[in-house]
Amino acid sequence: MTKTKVLMLGWEFPPVLTGGLGTACYGLVKALSKYADVQLIIPQADRNQTLENVSIKGLNYYGVTGEQSIELPELPLEEYAKVKKVPAEFSNPYPVGIGFAKEAKALVSPEAIRALYSTSEPYGPNIMQKVATYAEVVSRMALEMDFDVIHAHDWITYPAAVKIKEMTGKPLVVHVHSLETDRVGEKAKGDWNKVYEVEYKGMSKADRVIPVSRYTQECAMTHYNIPEEKFYPVHNAIDPAETFRIPNNSGEKLVLFLGRVTFQKGPEFMVETAWKLLQVYPKVMFFVAGVGDMMDELKKKVLERKIDHKFVFAGFLSKSNVKKVLAQADVYFMPSVSEPFGLSALEAAQFDVPCVISKQSGVAEVLPNALNADFWDTESFANYIYGLLNYEGIREDMISKTRKDIALLTWDDSARDVMEVYESLGV
Amino acid sequence: MAAICFYFQVHQPYRLKNYSFFKIGKDHAYEATAQNVEILNRVSDLCYLPANAMMYKLIQENEGRFKITYSITGTCIEQLHRHRPDVIDSFRRLAETGCVEFLSETYYHSLASLYSPTEFVRQVKLHEKAMQNILGVKTKVFRNTELMYQNGLSDLLDEMGYKMVLAEGGRKFLGAESANQIFQSKNEKTKVLPRNFILSDDIAFRFSDPTWSEYPLLADTFASWLHNVEDPNGCINLFMDYETFGEHRKQETGIFDFMKHLPKQILKDKKAHFATPSDLLKIKKTKPPVYDSPAWSSWADADKDVSAWTEDHMQRDALRKIYALEPVVLKLGKPDILDVWGKLQTSDHFYYMSTRYRNDATHQSFTHYNSPYDAYLNFMNVLSDFQGILSSGL
Repeated sequence: MTKTKVLMLGWEFPPVLTGGLGTACYGLVKALSKYADVQLIIPQADRNQTLENVSIKGLNYYGVTGEQSIELPELPLEEYAKVKKVPAEFSNPYPVGIGFAKEAKALVSPEAIRALYSTSEPYGPNIMQKVATYAEVVSRMALEMDFDVIHAHDWITYPAAVKIKEMTGKPLVVHVHSLETDRVGEKAKGDWNKVYEVEYKGMSKADRVIPVSRYTQECAMTHYNIPEEKFYPVHNAIDPAETFRIPNNSGEKLVLFLGRVTFQKGPEFMVETAWKLLQVYPKVMFFVAGVGDMMDELKKKVLERKIDHKFVFAGFLSKSNVKKVLAQADVYFMPSVSEPFGLSALEAAQFDVPCVISKQSGVAEVLPNALNADFWDTESFANYIYGLLNYEGIREDMISKTRKDIALLTWDDSARDVMEVYESLGV
Repeated sequence: MAAICFYFQVHQPYRLKNYSFFKIGKDHAYEATAQNVEILNRVSDLCYLPANAMMYKLIQENEGRFKITYSITGTCIEQLHRHRPDVIDSFRRLAETGCVEFLSETYYHSLASLYSPTEFVRQVKLHEKAMQNILGVKTKVFRNTELMYQNGLSDLLDEMGYKMVLAEGGRKFLGAESANQIFQSKNEKTKVLPRNFILSDDIAFRFSDPTWSEYPLLADTFASWLHNVEDPNGCINLFMDYETFGEHRKQETGIFDFMKHLPKQILKDKKAHFATPSDLLKIKKTKPPVYDSPAWSSWADADKDVSAWTEDHMQRDALRKIYALEPVVLKLGKPDILDVWGKLQTSDHFYYMSTRYRNDATHQSFTHYNSPYDAYLNFMNVLSDFQGILSSGL
């Protein structure tokens, strides 16, 4: 039997990472390559980064003879995960204002196309031009390629995917890692938000929709009115990794917030939680690793509550520094307003850090031994963190049970679930 | 045929209210009073009152040939006394028939037998007193919380004057011996009545299970199974929660109708008779087989052990901490403090913390917490406040 040929359209991919999208794509594609022939097209490929049995094409090499496909030995994720460059002005890796950007025309000359994607910034102010150009170029490339199914990751690739489906009649699977309604809330549904429209069109035209959680499926059904029968949720996973602990001798416990400081991640609920906890339990520091458009507001709120001496703002951390912080953290705290999945919680759990996460998080579905409360329920969050820092019995139970939960989460299982989705399409 | 010994466990705990860490040091009222009263009322109306009325009628109808046994926990009888005197009255009427026995147990339905012999004795005495004061009854038969038993328990029971104890059945305790007879403890001081867990669970669990091959179970079928047990000196011990009638198994399942018809169906056999544990004590048998449980056993779950209360780190941490308070509590010697401490020992609090049985339907039906972690944290917050009270010596 011949393997299913998948035309995979991605955006972020190691080493270009801003959030979970690239990490998830990498994990899935790598596992899927065992069962399917995957041809991946991304805006920017790194010539040093390849995957066995996967053809990776980067538009940053577009038109360069013999350079479209790069085949090099495989590297461990650890290496991929080193985020290349984070410019100082790059304060918001995923600009939440994208939805309001102007329409843009696709570029045509190979030089201009290569230049467009040869930046360290996968989004940026000209994101709509990148998306439009990707749609044009990739759909033309697809006509020359042999594949059975189109598999597109998140809205930035949906215009290309829809176009290819229309031209070739091949079935389309869209993978939803995140929705505009997660990122900006109800505002996403305003008439002027193009990202919402792109997502709506992508999911509507798709034959199958793969949300990264049942929670995301609910969101897509509620906010985009996509019929239930299209959905085949597939959870993200995590590869086994070497973990370690670094003793914390500061005399203060460490609560870690890791992620973009944006509306979606609920930073204001972190401040309220911290304030409530600190009334009773002062021997704790809140460590904020991440940047985003709500950073100034967050700092202002912390000052207003007079708890600024209890906060460390570490900015954007490299993967290896993230690990060092995880190795010292006592609690991982993710009060997200709407989190389609939340891979970083899995990383924390892998480091034996007990997780306190919002119920509005997809990752809660695979971490039954984490503590959950509604994102606005800061009293419950504070109560959970207090308990984790004070009562010894709970940590051991949560950690040992979570280890078992994580051992069950493999990308191989996710890949097999995706294969079932392809099979349901008869390909 | 063998004697039929029906025993029903009647229990309601004092559930704790939602006690966040903000309340530590400020709020010394721990109980979810409204919720406890609401549940007590519901169970009284669905189970205790109608079931007591049914049992009373059955005793009258069968002119003393139908006998039953109860064990009512102190925490339950105390709540009934306060909020549902009508239920207490109906138990009194049952006591007056002379066909009903009430057993002894720990007042707080606790795990004291596992952690503190002194506290165990205190709680059993408290329970004896309550049963005498409220129902005017006394007994020489003991049942421990959730039928927990371990060989050493009989020494303690013997010292307290108990002649018989109820325990879980099963090959690992009975060896090759038939379950339908009286056993004795390893030290030969106490008689042991093992539960016939198959026949008991046919009523308590499988009765309403439509996938069970015997569903729907009718009284004449069940009676015929009992009639098949030949031994005239034997006893078939049917032990279950009283809440099986109307609460765990709703009235619509036909559980009341089943019970209404059962005594008549059983007594159709002229040799059939019902007995209380104290009746069984009168049977003289030269050498009953030994009931052997070197480790703690119970009537819970497939493993019949105490893991549902003591397996997790959270449970062990909470239990260790509550029993570590014993010297301070005893030194203070204040009745109200002793009572709060006792109520915090109720086994239900630790059962709610079980992670292994988190998704088990039986376990879920008993807990009011969203997760075992919530149960632990809530208990520990309350315990922190109580520790504060003790150290201030109030």
